[in-house]
Amino acid sequence: MDFYYGLAQTVGIHTLLGLSAYIVLLTGQVTLAQAAFFAIGAYAAGMLTVLAGWHIVPALGASAMFGAATACAVGFPALRVKGLMLVVATLAFGEGVRLFFFNFDYQVAKGEIKVGPLGGEGFRQIRYFQEHGWSTGEVMLFVWVFVVLAMAALWWLDRSRYGAVLRAVGEDELAAQSVGVNLTAVKVSAMTVGGAVAGIGGGLYAHYTTHIEHANFNVLLATFAIAYPIVGGLKNVFGTLAAVIFVQAFLIEGLRFLGDWRNLLFGALIVAAMNLRPQGFFGGRRA
Amino acid sequence: MLDFLQAVSDGLLFGATYALIGIGFTLVFGVMHKLNLAYAAASVGAAYAGLLILQLAAGAPPWVVFLCAFLGGGVLGWLVYVTCFHFIPLSNPLAPLMATVGMLLLIDEIIVHLTAGMPQNYPAMFDDVMLRAGEFTLRGDLLLVAGVSVVCMIALLALLYRTRLGLATRAVSQQPVAAQLCGIRVGQVNAMTFIVTGLLGGIAGAMIGASVGTLSPLLTAPLTTKGLIVTVIGGLGSIPGAIVAGLLVGAFENVFQQFRGVTERDLYVMLLLFAFLIFRPSGLFKQ
Amino acid sequence: MLELKGLSRHFGGVKAVDGLDLTVRQGEIVGLIGPNGSGKSTTVNVIAGLFPASSGEVVFQNHALNGMPTHKRLQLGIARTFQNIRLFGQLSVWQNLWVAQNAPEDHARRGFFARWLGGQSGVRAEIAQLLEFSGLAHKQDELAANLAFGEQRRLELARALAAKPKLLLLDEPAAGMNSEEIGQLRDRILKLRAQGITILLIEHVMELVMGVTDRIAVLNFGQKIAEGSPAEIQADPRVRKAYLGGA
Repeated sequence: MDFYYGLAQTVGIHTLLGLSAYIVLLTGQVTLAQAAFFAIGAYAAGMLTVLAGWHIVPALGASAMFGAATACAVGFPALRVKGLMLVVATLAFGEGVRLFFFNFDYQVAKGEIKVGPLGGEGFRQIRYFQEHGWSTGEVMLFVWVFVVLAMAALWWLDRSRYGAVLRAVGEDELAAQSVGVNLTAVKVSAMTVGGAVAGIGGGLYAHYTTHIEHANFNVLLATFAIAYPIVGGLKNVFGTLAAVIFVQAFLIEGLRFLGDWRNLLFGALIVAAMNLRPQGFFGGRRA
Repeated sequence: MLDFLQAVSDGLLFGATYALIGIGFTLVFGVMHKLNLAYAAASVGAAYAGLLILQLAAGAPPWVVFLCAFLGGGVLGWLVYVTCFHFIPLSNPLAPLMATVGMLLLIDEIIVHLTAGMPQNYPAMFDDVMLRAGEFTLRGDLLLVAGVSVVCMIALLALLYRTRLGLATRAVSQQPVAAQLCGIRVGQVNAMTFIVTGLLGGIAGAMIGASVGTLSPLLTAPLTTKGLIVTVIGGLGSIPGAIVAGLLVGAFENVFQQFRGVTERDLYVMLLLFAFLIFRPSGLFKQ
Repeated sequence: MLELKGLSRHFGGVKAVDGLDLTVRQGEIVGLIGPNGSGKSTTVNVIAGLFPASSGEVVFQNHALNGMPTHKRLQLGIARTFQNIRLFGQLSVWQNLWVAQNAPEDHARRGFFARWLGGQSGVRAEIAQLLEFSGLAHKQDELAANLAFGEQRRLELARALAAKPKLLLLDEPAAGMNSEEIGQLRDRILKLRAQGITILLIEHVMELVMGVTDRIAVLNFGQKIAEGSPAEIQADPRVRKAYLGGA
């Protein structure tokens, strides 16, 4: 049973990552920076619970804020970079953040041992859940509370005028400007919301794996982040969830009888999905 | 001072390979207005394909290996075209991008599987040759790398500006619909673009392998990042830009590696990119 | 209401608009005509804020517009339609109008949260009015990309009206229409004037221009060569020469 709880946790956390990219993709900005906001959330939450003794919920709140603040700061220069150049710029930003954490040391003595991030070795012993006696099932439910909240919030945004405006900007910036939409406000705000969601996802990730390091937040994770909403389709949030379940379940199930050829299949799977259904599972027309 | 100049000259010579990778990215972008994120992976893959010939003819001279890498690159380029760009409707911007990500992962995993993850030695030519100019040394193998790269660039420019295929390619990049109406088979032109850039990539991969001495699948991610950085600094769609930017990044990287070590080197290249994005987002040369 | 003073817009060596002086008074319907390439669309684009002026001024209700971003001009009361329709194809008719509700009166009336995060119920009445006016009420949930061409044009106009503009820039709204449709468009434009909207009409289709405008300005090679009532313009030999070439 623990295995399924673990799988559900992974699906939940990856869904948060995917949702953070979903909202930014709606505005037409292709971002490879979500893994960076995820990383910031992870280190922030970990440091607050381990080094400062915070309760997990405010720590996650702080992760959301750090993620949002960084995303907002990135959102402004991102406006100057058009189209596919944004892909490169955000990829470079993500790598920059990863390199930052590669060099980041902040250790504090707790009793006889030192805890905290240690550069290339990463940040070990993020044991909030273990120290407070949470069972795997309880952690899973905790993760999913946030997933459901995020999905509900984005679902609601989708149906509001903000959602329609996001999609209008994604479709035709010139027309949107001409009917009075403030492009800067829309694009930066979407980026900020995405950063907040990614930050929460990262904070949860840090506590669920108990050990994080720079290599976890690499370009591969950044591409996973946009892969989910693209493969799932940008019609609604359920597409992203479906894509996460599909990928994770396929990979995990693939693990059973294909051994470690599963990684090979992941790439082939994406290529096949894009050829067979380029608009994504839940893509295509919406109204 | 001498150390600095030496680092610059070595970096420039090696930078010729970055220029080739940058050209590959920028040419596909210029012609099809799409990003082929699998390009660097395909180049590394082609270099590995070159090694296959050694399985068949154990004592084959290095230039045979390079030739096989060259040809292998062309094949892989065509494969990427077919799987990512031929069938997917090009009006959908995200799907081909995602498909190339899938191909990148697939090629990487195939390499890992076929080599059991072990780095492979790569043959070099003239690696025992050292030309001296006063207190300056020019490594023979690096000179070959630069020389071969220059020959390829000249051949490419000749192809683009002196042949009908090149003319058709330039027509398609400027006005795909009008080109079609003039009887140009856009699908064929696009396929040829991929094959030609694939050939270049194969040589680039082989040259990188030759100058470094070993090939490893770990090369793919940093090469992709660097290739994209070169493309952006040079100006998306500009071949002269990619050439200059490739040399610039090569020199820059090597100088910082010499004086600040390998770990900080990547951070400086990233800063170079950000400087361009802030002060000159369109790159060195416009398309 | 709108004044163009010595307005120029250059693209490299090409003077698309060259020293244009034009005044549009409140409540007028002014036509802007000229052969292809005479600078009509460029003029509209500069007024709307898509391109900055190379020299000269655009003044709207005593506000100098130079350097003002497009969305702010909309808030001042300038709306425009596009020659080749730019609807949000993946959004429904209703959503296209909803996105365009950016008039300052709407901002004042409803709070930030209601305006952005509220649902559709608060604005049903207003959008229903626009749909009625454009004859698109029965298609309100249809994707804009699926509409017939004529319907798309009506939606394009309705969307410009959604922001409650004071000045409406219409860029060749009659292109591709038949006589009956032109007649309907004419009626609609006159109804808009009756509601107090000032209109600058860029057009090639003389049937519409002559039948609906109070005054016409004629451009050729970026310069104004004639201005007057429809009757005067029709009789002006310079205009004929611009359109048809020499004697």
